[in-house]
Amino acid sequence: MIGLDVGSTTAKRVKIEDGEIKFEITGTHNWKDLVEGIGKEDIISTGYFRHSVPHKASVTEITAARFGAEYYFPGVEVIVDIGGQDTKVIDVKKNNFIINDKCSAGTGAFLEFVANYFKIELTEMGRLHSKAKRIPQINNTCGVFAVSEMISQLVAGYSKEEVIAGIHYAFARRISFMIPEAETIVLIGGTVKNEGMISALRDILNKEILIPEEPQIVNALGALEYSE
Amino acid sequence: MPKIGITALVPPELIFACGGQPYDVNNVIPESKKYPKNKLCAWTAIWQEMLVKREIKIDSLIVVAGGDCHNALVDGQKAAMSGIPTHFFFYPFDGDHKYMESQLHSLCSFLGDIKHPEKFRQIKELKKAGQLIDKKRVNGKISAGEAFRILVSISDLMGDLDKFKRALDIKTPHLNAGIGVNRIALIGVPPIYHDFHDVAQSLDLQIVFDELPYEFVRHTGADLNEVAKDYCNYTFARPLDFRIGFLQKELEKRKVDGVIHYTQFACHHTLEDEILRQELDYPILTIQGDLPGKTPEQIKLRLEAFREMIARS
Repeated sequence: MIGLDVGSTTAKRVKIEDGEIKFEITGTHNWKDLVEGIGKEDIISTGYFRHSVPHKASVTEITAARFGAEYYFPGVEVIVDIGGQDTKVIDVKKNNFIINDKCSAGTGAFLEFVANYFKIELTEMGRLHSKAKRIPQINNTCGVFAVSEMISQLVAGYSKEEVIAGIHYAFARRISFMIPEAETIVLIGGTVKNEGMISALRDILNKEILIPEEPQIVNALGALEYSE
Repeated sequence: MPKIGITALVPPELIFACGGQPYDVNNVIPESKKYPKNKLCAWTAIWQEMLVKREIKIDSLIVVAGGDCHNALVDGQKAAMSGIPTHFFFYPFDGDHKYMESQLHSLCSFLGDIKHPEKFRQIKELKKAGQLIDKKRVNGKISAGEAFRILVSISDLMGDLDKFKRALDIKTPHLNAGIGVNRIALIGVPPIYHDFHDVAQSLDLQIVFDELPYEFVRHTGADLNEVAKDYCNYTFARPLDFRIGFLQKELEKRKVDGVIHYTQFACHHTLEDEILRQELDYPILTIQGDLPGKTPEQIKLRLEAFREMIARS
């Protein structure tokens, strides 16, 4: 049995062999590679395309995230899943969830937009953030218009590294509005590999933030766990 | 028979009794493909634009300007300024039936006074039959979508009492084959998506309560005085604690498993979400719609996740 998470940008496959998690990640357009030789009876799907791929059963990303996060952190209170096209906050304690899929400012798409502007890889943003000596205030709540504010800060003398740090703070502030009261928060999704953004979020939330070893595969793992 | 546009609940009893044909201008919105200019709430923006362009043909307009939709006050004035004879109607916030009576008298003057008093009783009977439709759907005898389409049309009784009577006679009473086990109350303004109830049902969420359409069917009266005494308790016009008290009783009576609070983009009712969540002791899903059409995939994801959430609670 496999857990298959086919999301808006990447597809992930998880199986458990001898108690060990085995996974593979690819671009969404290559999702078929992940199910080669696997019958639909052995697939539990999740993610945006959960209904479109072969599956025995499907489960939403929200429920999958809950099961996946529980696997790593039993008793988890709040899960924040920062995806490529949306951000989901799941309040496990109160059995509630909210999704931001209307505004790019608090999603991975925004950081991708900024990386494109600076012509750098997304993965570089965390490293550049760590070199910032000052953090400029970026207030704009619109992801697209934040670029004009970024340019203003560059013209005002802030370095690229500092502006990127400012962007991470703006991003983290945006997400913090969605997060309910809790002692600890579990962050999942591909975006949480960005250390700059995590450090901004830690600073703003002032709460214990837990990140699974492989934050990107949590939903695929959760789908698998859900089936059991 | 003059066609009288209404922007929200206005006692149709009185309009018929005064010889008018009520027409709820919201009826055309869910199927509309318009993208209105200068938009806050799509509901009011679309009817406003259509009225000003005379794409909705009415002889005069009654705007519920106090006690319901706040955007309608401005959009109603735009329609009035375009030359449509318009009356502004105000519900009492404190439920004062004397005030309500004075509002109804003033409305009567606008409509040309009561000419057919028998309409009050006829409509009272029709609303009794409408309540049976509501009961049938609570018991799973008809689908939520079918019940909703009838209940929501009670705001203007389809402009024709005979036509409405025929609509009550549902020929397909076995649509409940796929009805799920999750009993849902839908509160707030009605969703702007024309297929919402059917989509919810396909995801095993059986809507057993439609807050606003239930207001349409439960208020009535055999004469102006009775109408005043009954409609002054229209919950959307009253303070929140009054509305919440009413909701708590209905949700308990209907044995709901969860609540969906539909909110409309740029509608002041959205601000009530926090309070409703505090006061109603049920799993609550809040969704927000904007433009009309089919229920979007993002909303379907939320409904599906809500069903999974209820299953665990």
